[in-house]
Parts: sequence; C-alpha cells; structure tokens
Amino acid sequence: MTQEILLGDEAVARGAIDAGLSAAYAYPGTPSTEIFETIHSLTKQHHLPIRGFWSTNEKVALEEAIGVSYCGKRAMVSMKHVGLNVAADPFMNVAVAGAWGGLVLAVADDPSMHSSQNEQDSRSFADFAQVLCVEPADQQEAYELAREAFEVSERLRVPVVLRLVTRLAHSRALVTLGERRTQNELRYVEDDGLYTLIPSNARRAYAGLIDKQPALQKFSEEHRLNALTIRGEGKPGIIVSGIAWTYLREALGPKLDDFNVLRVSVYPLPVGKVRELLDHSSELMIVEEGYPFIERFVSALGLFREKPVKGKLTGHVPRIGELNPDLLRKTFGLPVKTSLAVAGLEDVLMARPPRLCDACPHGDSYNLINEVRRELDSSMRVMGDIGCYALGYSKPYQAINSCLCMGSSIGMAIGAAHAGISPSLCVIGDGTFTHTGMNALLDAVIENTNIKVFILDNSIVAMTGGQPTTMSDAHLEELVAGLGVKKAHVRTITPVPQKHAENLAIVREELAYQGLSVIIARRACVRYVKEIKEHKRERDAAHAHEGDCANCSGNC
Amino acid sequence: MTFDLVLCGVGGQGVLSTAYVIDHAAVDAGLHFKQPEIHGMSQRGGAVSAQVRLGSAPIASDLISTGEAKAVLSVEPMESLRYLSLLSSDGWVFTDVTPLKNMAGYPDTAKLYDVLFSLPHVVAVNATKLAAKAGASKAQNMVVLGAAASHLPFPVELLEKHLRALFQVKGEHVVTANLKAFRMGLAASAFGAALIARGVSAPIAARVVARLDFDATPVAEDVLNAWVERLLRSDAEALSKRVLAAGDSLPLEAQLPAKLA
Ligand SMILES: Cc1ncc(C[n+]2csc(CCOP(=O)(O)OP(=O)(O)O)c2C)c(N)n1
Ligand code: SF4
Repeated sequence: MTQEILLGDEAVARGAIDAGLSAAYAYPGTPSTEIFETIHSLTKQHHLPIRGFWSTNEKVALEEAIGVSYCGKRAMVSMKHVGLNVAADPFMNVAVAGAWGGLVLAVADDPSMHSSQNEQDSRSFADFAQVLCVEPADQQEAYELAREAFEVSERLRVPVVLRLVTRLAHSRALVTLGERRTQNELRYVEDDGLYTLIPSNARRAYAGLIDKQPALQKFSEEHRLNALTIRGEGKPGIIVSGIAWTYLREALGPKLDDFNVLRVSVYPLPVGKVRELLDHSSELMIVEEGYPFIERFVSALGLFREKPVKGKLTGHVPRIGELNPDLLRKTFGLPVKTSLAVAGLEDVLMARPPRLCDACPHGDSYNLINEVRRELDSSMRVMGDIGCYALGYSKPYQAINSCLCMGSSIGMAIGAAHAGISPSLCVIGDGTFTHTGMNALLDAVIENTNIKVFILDNSIVAMTGGQPTTMSDAHLEELVAGLGVKKAHVRTITPVPQKHAENLAIVREELAYQGLSVIIARRACVRYVKEIKEHKRERDAAHAHEGDCANCSGNC
Repeated sequence: MTFDLVLCGVGGQGVLSTAYVIDHAAVDAGLHFKQPEIHGMSQRGGAVSAQVRLGSAPIASDLISTGEAKAVLSVEPMESLRYLSLLSSDGWVFTDVTPLKNMAGYPDTAKLYDVLFSLPHVVAVNATKLAAKAGASKAQNMVVLGAAASHLPFPVELLEKHLRALFQVKGEHVVTANLKAFRMGLAASAFGAALIARGVSAPIAARVVARLDFDATPVAEDVLNAWVERLLRSDAEALSKRVLAAGDSLPLEAQLPAKLA
C-alpha cells in the first residue's frame, strides 16, 4: 500500500494512470491544469507508455481522446468548466455515439470564480448529455472515482464526466493508491455506425443512449458513495453532494445524527433513494456546491412540494459563491465562532489585486495602444481577451474594455466594425489566438474588415502557469499570412520602451490603412524564461521527428 | 487535537513551499491533514494564501472555519492581517515585518505597525534581511516558518528534515541557506519568548525582535540579559517604537541595549 500527499487534481491523474490510461489530452485552465501536468510529468519521469499533449483547444483535446476510445483504449481529457463549452459539440455527440475504450472528462468548476468568468456547474452539462457524472468529496475519492469512471465508462459504453471544484482540485491530503491496471489492447469499435452520425445512424445511436439510461440509473442507485442513512422516522433530511459533504460534517459534527442523510456522488440523481429519504423525513435541506442542481430536480422548481424542500432556491443556502462550514452553520442555525477582534484593521488592510509582472511585455504593448487611442479618439474601446494581458483592464493601463471568453476579441472587433467603429481595435494573446482566435480572423480576411488585431506573443501560455503555445516566433507570421492576411499588413514589433517611437510609427501606418492589419507584438514573458526554453527544445525535437507514432514511447 | 494554520503572503513569495514542509512533517508525525491553496490569477503578485489543517483524527473540511486557526504565518506584514477573521482570539501571528508595496494605496507603515503590534501574540521578524544574510534572499518564508516552528504540533527536527528534502534538488548550498534562515527564525522566536518570560511586555518585546539581526544559533545569554535589563526600564515602550520605526537592524551585541537612549 503506497500513500502520497496529493492535490485533488493529482489524485485524479493518478487514478487515471492506475486505471490503465493510454492517452491524455488537455487545455490548461485553472483549476484543472495540474491534472494533465501530473500525467505528463509522471509519463516522462517513469517512461510510461502514455501518449498525449496540451492540445490546441478543448474541442480538439476531446476529439483526440474520442479517437483513442474509438480504438478501444482508455483516454482522459481535462479542462476547466468553460472549456467544456468549447468542447460541447464533440461532447454532446460522443454521448450519443457512446464510449468504446473508457472515456473520462475531468472538468473542474470554479465556484466563487477565483480564476474564471462564471460559475457554471458541469453537472448540468452531464445531465444535458444524459451521461454519467461522478463528483468526489475528497482527494481519496478523487483517486477512486477517477479509476472507477474508466471501468464504468467501458462497461456501460458512456463517456463519464468527473466533476471537480477548485477547493478539491487545489487542496492536498494523503491518498492511498492501488495497483496499476494494464492498458487495453488496440481494438476498433465494433460498430463504426455509432460514430458516423448521419441521421439514420444517429437515430439508432440516440435510441441506444436512451436504452442505456436504466443502467446508468441503476449504477447510481447502487453506488456505495450514494449512501442513504435513515436515522429515524420523521427526522429532517439532508441531501448533500460532492465537497459539500465535507463542509456539512465539519459544520454539524455530532449533530449530523439528528438528520436522515443522502450523500450524492454519482449522477443521474438516485431518485429511488431521494424518494426513500423524502418518505422518511419531515423536510429536506439540499446542500450542494454550484447550481441548485439537485434541488431543482427534487423540488420541481419549487412548484410541487409535498414537504418543505429548502436550499439555494429558497435562500437557505447561498446561491452564489462557494460554500464553507461557516455558511452551513448559519443554514442550520448553529453558532459561528468569534475570531480575534482588532481595532483599526480597515484602515491598514487594502486589496492587493494581481498585476502584470514588472517588465512584462504586455505593459509596453498597452502603453503603445493607449497612446494611439488618445490620438484617434480617447473614448474608443478596445476589445480584449483572456490571459495575463486581461490585467490591462485595470489601472495603471486601462487599455482594454472586454474579456468575455477565449478568442472573443477578434469576433467582437469585427462586430464593432460592422456597428460603425472604424478602425476597430482588439488585443489577443498568442495562446488564445491559436485556441479560438484564428477562426474569427478568417472572417475578417474574407471581408478585409477594417480591424487592427494586436497579437501579444510572449512565447508562452502564461496565465495558467507556463504551458507551451502552439505557435509563436516566425511561425505565427506564417500562420497569419497563411490565413490570408496581406503580408504587407502583418507587422511585427518588439514591445520595449526603447523602441516605443519606432513601434508607434508602425502602428500609426497600420491605423491609416483601411483594412485588416495584424500587429504581432513579440517579446518573451519575463517570468517563464526557463519554461519557454524547455518548450522550444521539446517542440524542435518533435518537429524534427518523423516516423512511427504507433510504436513511439511518447518521449520522442 | 486539531491545529489549523493560515499561510499567506504575495504571489511569488513561497507560501506553497512552507505548506510543503508542514504537510510532510505532519504526515511524518502521524497526523491527519488537509491543505488547500490558491493557484491561478492571484499568483500574479496578488494576495495568496494556503491553509493547513492538522488533527489527530481525520479532518472533514478542507477549509478552516471562522475563529478556529491557531496561527497565521505570513511573509508580508499587511498580508498577515488579511485572514484575522479565521484566527482564534488567542491565536498567534508570525510574519515578516518588511512591507512589499507592489500596489497602489499601501498603508502608512507606522499605522500598519500600530495595528500589527497591537495583536496579543505576534512574532514579527525582519525575514527579508535575515534571509539575505543566510544566503538565500527568497528564504523569508523559511525564516517565518522557523519563527513559528516551536508552536507547531510536532518536533522542530521534523520540519528541518522536510525542509532539507524540499531544497535538496536545488543543491546543498540552497539547503544550507534555507536551514540557516529557518534557524534564525527559531532564534528570534525563542528570544522574544525569553524576553516575555523575564517580564518584558509582549508588544515591546515584539517590536525589538522585529529589528534584531539574529544568527542561526540561539541568542547568547549576556545579550538576552542586557536586553531584559534595558526593556524593563520605564522608557522601554518609547524605545521599542523608535527602534522599530528607525528600520535599521541592530547587531546582537551585549553592549548595545544600554547605549540606546
Ligand atoms: C475555454 C477556456 N479555456 C481555458 C481558459 C483558461 N485560460 C485563461 S487565460 C489562458 C491562456 C492565455 O494564454 P495567452 O493568450 O498566450 O496569454 P498570456 O497569459 O500568455 O498572456 C487560458 C488557457 C479559459 N479561460 N477558457
Ligand atoms: S507571467 Fe509573463 S505574461 Fe504574465 S504578467 Fe508576468 S511577465 Fe507578463
């Protein structure tokens, strides 16, 4: 028996590896990033025969994993919650096609939006696709459910969503690890029609998904982690899911014995057990991290309650932000401890928001953009995007005016141009550009829309901790020109203070041009210098490599 | 037994390294633990924190509840005040005294110190200075850990063992420097406790500790005696405030305290 200190994310990675994983794909995003990082580094360190890489975006990552599953092997794809939006198309359709080799999507939600744009709850997505979802409460369960997810995915032929939340993803505990299973043999899916969703096949495949529902339901009803404890007739009941189970135990302590409790860790919701709980209980409190997902099922939107059902919809549990033991104490009318009282604290405790590093190349690009904006029209807004450079929204730069979702800046700039803004400016990182920005650029190429796209190429995906970018250096100019942007209007500048005047002249020239320009501001991130070198070395080696992927150890 | 700790500072100050050492020491000591931490956006120079929950029985929640933390370990003085709502009313604060002003509106240092040294149990050390002296300017976190070490629920040797393990890959000189930094913190904390045990009032002792230039060995008896003698005089409070405000670090010389007007 080995035990190791693991983050929730690392526990998921270890569970996948020990389940006989053959390949892993991911796109970085807090709080999911460490899942693939762990798989990648253990693969390298121990020369494991596991393939995979940081993919271009989450959609591609999932499609790569589906390809592995199609060939009978086990694959994991990991991403943050909003990544599943990008991967929604293959996700909804592979739900219909089904899994062949075990296929697990590890998706990390971010209640309280520590590093995200929204609080979307991936349990809703799994429900939407009518597939299984597992939701560990702690690091040990993260390991065990990751393992088990592959097994059940293969047995019931469905992709499985493993839902994590930030607190579990980024919290460490001691985890007991099991034996490693060997990988599956290569074996094509028997029925390729299931993956060829022309309408005739799609109808058949979809009927198959519906046929699987009772088996999914049975799995959930019987699961050891969907545990029902009836302590007494007519006692109040609690349904608690995922990490909220740990907060509930902390908050109630021995008082938990006054309640009938149903723990939920596997979905579809075990409705038989919910029924039983309701029959034995005077009322229900529903405690879940994220959306009032279970509550809406159980209370049918609050319209048809036979007994009081309380939770987020009724205001008994906060609707926004992550839960914690103190919030649940309030829910159950229990006291919260007093803390050290300190006079004058408010006068000396100020917010310390994140900021661009000193000498960050993005700062110099923003100085440039702000200067031309003052010249053109100081009220002009600049569409921004997601990455370290989103910090340019704040003081001292205040250089961008939007940051909606990855890749949105270019499309929004096109829209603004159509609405009457000319020229229309936008800013996007090199990582975000290849994630989902380049498709939008094609639209601008077709029309030669008068937008000015600043690609801030810092040679790395910095915001999420220094993962490799798909394209930087001269390859990026080739890519942009290859998409059809006129070479004369693909300009490259080096954002350093000494070159400010020279850069300004180039930007002014492009602003004078009534068409599509791309200005690549290239200077390496000053924080991830070591990683940039390492990624470049790996990329050059991979480019130089030709040959037999099937027999590759993955370390070529 | 449960023992909850908040570790905090600014992105890039090594809060997670401190967590690593404590986690491993806890497991070695046979304790249960959970340890949430912050990754992501805030690591770009924003406020960062981690929590460590230690217990003799399995721990339910990853998060500490209001008023339950026994100690805050901070690598920055303003940050040491950010999580006080989690600290129990008899909790301890261990912190570097050196402000990191990477933001607009950083409070006036004198006002900040007034609040910091009004806390009932505080050990503030010039960790930035001491770390540089130890030979690793990034080892402020280990100075602070050293300052807190004797308050943690396992032997100091276990912390040293896992501190070595953490820095081993970076080479023996990094291990040595961090260990030195850790022991300077240990010496500072012991010195402050000795002053208080000998009757010096806690805030006076804390302000002086914040400016002394500790070594990696316990403070000599004659130096301690000299400071006790000086800090029991009626002007000690004013003196301690002056010493703190002056900002200079004071050598550990037995003749020094008497010379201070
Ligand atoms: C769909 C989606 N996937 C992942 C993320 C997480 N994420 C935020 S910024 C970022 C990468 C930014 O890289 P880049 O554009 O190169 O900018 P940099 O941080 O290097 O300045 C990622 C992956 C996200 N917000 N949305
Ligand atoms: S990590 Fe790199 S890109 Fe991000 S703020 Fe720092 S220097 Fe800029």
